[in-house]
Order: sequence, then structure tokens, then C-alpha cells
Amino acid sequence: MVAPYKKPLPLPAHESEPFWEASKKHRLMIQKCAACETHRFPPSVTCAKCGETNSSWVESSGRGKVFSFVTFYRLYHKGWEGELPYVVAVIELEEGARILSNVIDIPVEKVVCDMPVKVVFEDVTENVTLPKFSPL
Amino acid sequence: MIEPSTHLRNKCAVVGAGHSRLGKVPGVSALGLLEEAMKNALDDAGLNITDVDGLICRGPDEIYTLHQVVGERLGINTTFSTTLTNGGASQVLGVALAVMAIDAGMASCVLVGYGRDNWSRVHANNENHLRASGRPQTMEISEFGPEFGYFGAVAAHAFGAQRHMHDFGTTREQFGAISVAFRKHALNNPDAVMKKTLSLEDYMEGRMIVAPFGLYDCSLQTDGAGAVVVTSAERAKDLRQRPVYIKGFGTCNNLSGWFHERNMTHTGAIQAGKTAYAMAGVGPRDIDVAQIYDCFTYMVLVQLEDYGFCRKGEGGDFVASGALDLEGSIPTNTSGGQLSEAHVEGMLQVVEGVRQLQGVYEPDRQVKGAEIGLVSGHGGNTVCESTLILGTS
Repeated sequence: MVAPYKKPLPLPAHESEPFWEASKKHRLMIQKCAACETHRFPPSVTCAKCGETNSSWVESSGRGKVFSFVTFYRLYHKGWEGELPYVVAVIELEEGARILSNVIDIPVEKVVCDMPVKVVFEDVTENVTLPKFSPL
Repeated sequence: MIEPSTHLRNKCAVVGAGHSRLGKVPGVSALGLLEEAMKNALDDAGLNITDVDGLICRGPDEIYTLHQVVGERLGINTTFSTTLTNGGASQVLGVALAVMAIDAGMASCVLVGYGRDNWSRVHANNENHLRASGRPQTMEISEFGPEFGYFGAVAAHAFGAQRHMHDFGTTREQFGAISVAFRKHALNNPDAVMKKTLSLEDYMEGRMIVAPFGLYDCSLQTDGAGAVVVTSAERAKDLRQRPVYIKGFGTCNNLSGWFHERNMTHTGAIQAGKTAYAMAGVGPRDIDVAQIYDCFTYMVLVQLEDYGFCRKGEGGDFVASGALDLEGSIPTNTSGGQLSEAHVEGMLQVVEGVRQLQGVYEPDRQVKGAEIGLVSGHGGNTVCESTLILGTS
């Protein structure tokens, strides 16, 4: 029997539901403005560049760079017991949008700003998949 | 662009109005509805979202710092914004506050709005029970953070510190110089919580919390309170203390987010400082003493840069040079600050800023001949900044 998942799960805004649905299918989807074609994240109704409210969901290449990151040595939630230290990072995708996630598959002391990474998907429960990032 | 002013301004007007779909509107949050109404109001006025630099709003009260959430969605930075919690009076107050903000030169175009989703909340339970992920009845939104183990203010500010280290070669030893300098000040303050000396070695040996921050990068957890009385300059002349004049103030809130553009290394203090300096008619070289909001060491460093006490990227060398000492080029956090005196959300730093200009301290704590002081406030979701410039004349 698989141990129960003890970490928080996302409680999405309606506007974010396409993102989480796509994650389940192992696809990283972001919004693209219908007018100026700027890619954006997190999900919103309004384009921050031009104010347009029409947009579409497009698949990201899944490649990007670590814009900045932090390493948790202190436990803030029991779900991470036994998993310290771990890295939380802001990833700048090739399309320009930034997304918060984890950098995994690398010792924490090897993570640096601007290092190239690619998305990997973790099916954490039957219904939730988290996009994380691994060194490219 | 805003133009801060020292005199009262002309009256303002409402130039556009709009509303969202009304009644039963499933599939959109209160925030989405608010965006819709704001878009319609802008269209009515013939304006674009890029014209907006002020935001006053209210919405579901369980959403902390609602104006930041709305501003992030709209993708705007503002020079004045707040969430009002005055219940039903909030919306009228919001318009009044917009007039005051514009008269004061804090914003040039203010969006005032209120969104709610009560029908959906009441009628969504069955639907929610069918949702595999399950949403609590409050329909609280929580995503892009806790599920990745991202918690707390330490981590948020540590992101900025990390990027600053990468871009400019700033070191942990330089952050440590800030902790050490403020501890020295605290030792001359009998009311300070921290009573022991702190060396750079002590700092480096402190346990890591959220790297690059260790224990001594983090402010204290304390009880405490502070207060000041503000009155007219005319009235102040007849009172007991030497008046400390409010020469200028400024605000700047980078609502587009700490992770957006260069906000984590180029903070709201850049514009808040410009505004305050312009209103006061002074510049960074005129400041004799500074009280800088020090929730974490890095925030002192980046604000000193952004207020123009040194150039961008040179904050590390600057703080390690002794500049923050009582005899330094800009004596800073002369009470010990939140890192070594006590953490009362910046209020004690206003008190210290005033007292330095009243000239009430003994020589071991008093900045000699101080005539002009700067006090900064920083907070919210790491992106709000306010600035006060005080003077003896």
C-alpha cells in the first residue's frame, strides 16, 4: 500500500484549471495573449503587457532557466519531514513567463541562478500532478 | 508618471464606470469578476490598463492583501494602492481616498473596485463534492506555492538575496556586516532585546533557515508597540518638543510581483524614494540618519541602493565599509532595528527617526547634528514600500 500524500495540494482559481488539467496529462500549458502574443503565468484574465482579455492556452517547451532559488533547511510543514534540504525556484521559461516550482534530481548545493532546466512531471496523487524541474 | 506636490490639489472626477456580469455567474472567481468590471470601466473612460497607477479595492475578505492579488492579475505596478477593511463603508471611502491620493500626488489614475461571488459560494457545494481535488466550502484559492513547499517571508526575501548575489557578487559576509552594525547600535539602547555582542564569526556560524539566509539574517519575534502624534506645523510650534517636520513621503508598490521583471533586486524603494525626495526637496546626500525596514539583512542592502545612498550593485561593499555606524556616512537603524532592538512592523523605526531629530539621546546614540532623516517601510507580499522624510526645519 502506498503511503498517503501529506503535502498540501493546489486549490486552483477557476482561471488556473486548464493548467492543472494539462499537468495531469504531463503537458506544461501557459497563456498566450490573443493581441500581443505575450506568454504569461500565473493565469489571469488580463494581459499585463497590453490589457487584452482574450487569450489561448499553449504548450510550453518545458525548458527554461533558474531565475532565482532558495534552499529550505527549516521545516515549515510536516509533509517535508525527512526531505530537508530542498530547493524552491522561480523558473523563467523559454517563452518568457516565470513559474514557481522545485528543482530536483541534483544536490542542493549544485543549483545556481541561470542554470538550464527542463520540466518533469510528478504524479503526486491520482488527481494531481506537479510540474517540477530537472537539470537539462 | 506622478508629480508629487506640497500644496493641495484641484478636485478630481469619476471618468468611467463599468460592471461585470451580474446574478448567477458560475465558472469565474470574485477576482475574475472584478477584472471584468474594471476593464469595462476603463473602456467607458477610454483608458487602457497601462494608464493605471493606483488601485483601491475590496473583495472576499479572506484574501490577504487583496489589492496585490488583483494588481498581479492586471499586471500593473502602482504608486498608491491599498485594501480597505471598513466593511460596507469601504467603497465610498475608496473614492474619497482616491481623491486624496491624487491630490497628494501619490497616483495619477486610480481604479476603485469591489468583487464578490456569493451566489457561487452558496450554490457550489454539490459541484464541489464531485470535484476530485475537493475544494473547501470557503473556495479558498491556494496554488503555485505551498504545494512546492514554498512557505513564509524568509524564503520570499531570500529569493531576492540570491539573485542579488548572482548579479552583483554580493556575499553572505556582507549581509553579516549589517547584522553586526545593528547589534552595535542595540548595545547602546537599553530597551533593545538583544544584549550580547555579535561578531561576523557568530553570524557565519548561525544555523541556516532558508538559504542564503541564516539565523542572524532574520529579524526578531517580539511583543511591542510604538506610536507618534502628528499635527499641523503651526500647532506644533507651541508644543513641548522641538517639532520634527514631515518634509515628504512616497509610496510605490510593485504589484506585478516579487518574481516579475527585476523587482526582487530593484525594489519599490526606487520610486518611493524619488517621490519622497521630490516632495521634500532633498536628495540622498542631504540625509543625516536613516531607519530602514530590516525584516531581513538583504532588504537593508537593497533599499540603501534603491534610495541612492550607493549605486545599484555596490550595496555589499557599502555596508561592509562601516557606512552604517554612528560615525559612518549614513548612520542606519540607530536603535538596533528589527534585527536587534525589536520587531514592531516598522513602527519603532518611525519613533527612532523622530527622536534622532528631537536630539534627545546621549552622544553614544545621538547622530551629531542630525537635521534630516529618512524612514522606510516595506512589506505586504514583499513588494510594498513607503518612505518618510523628516526634518528639524
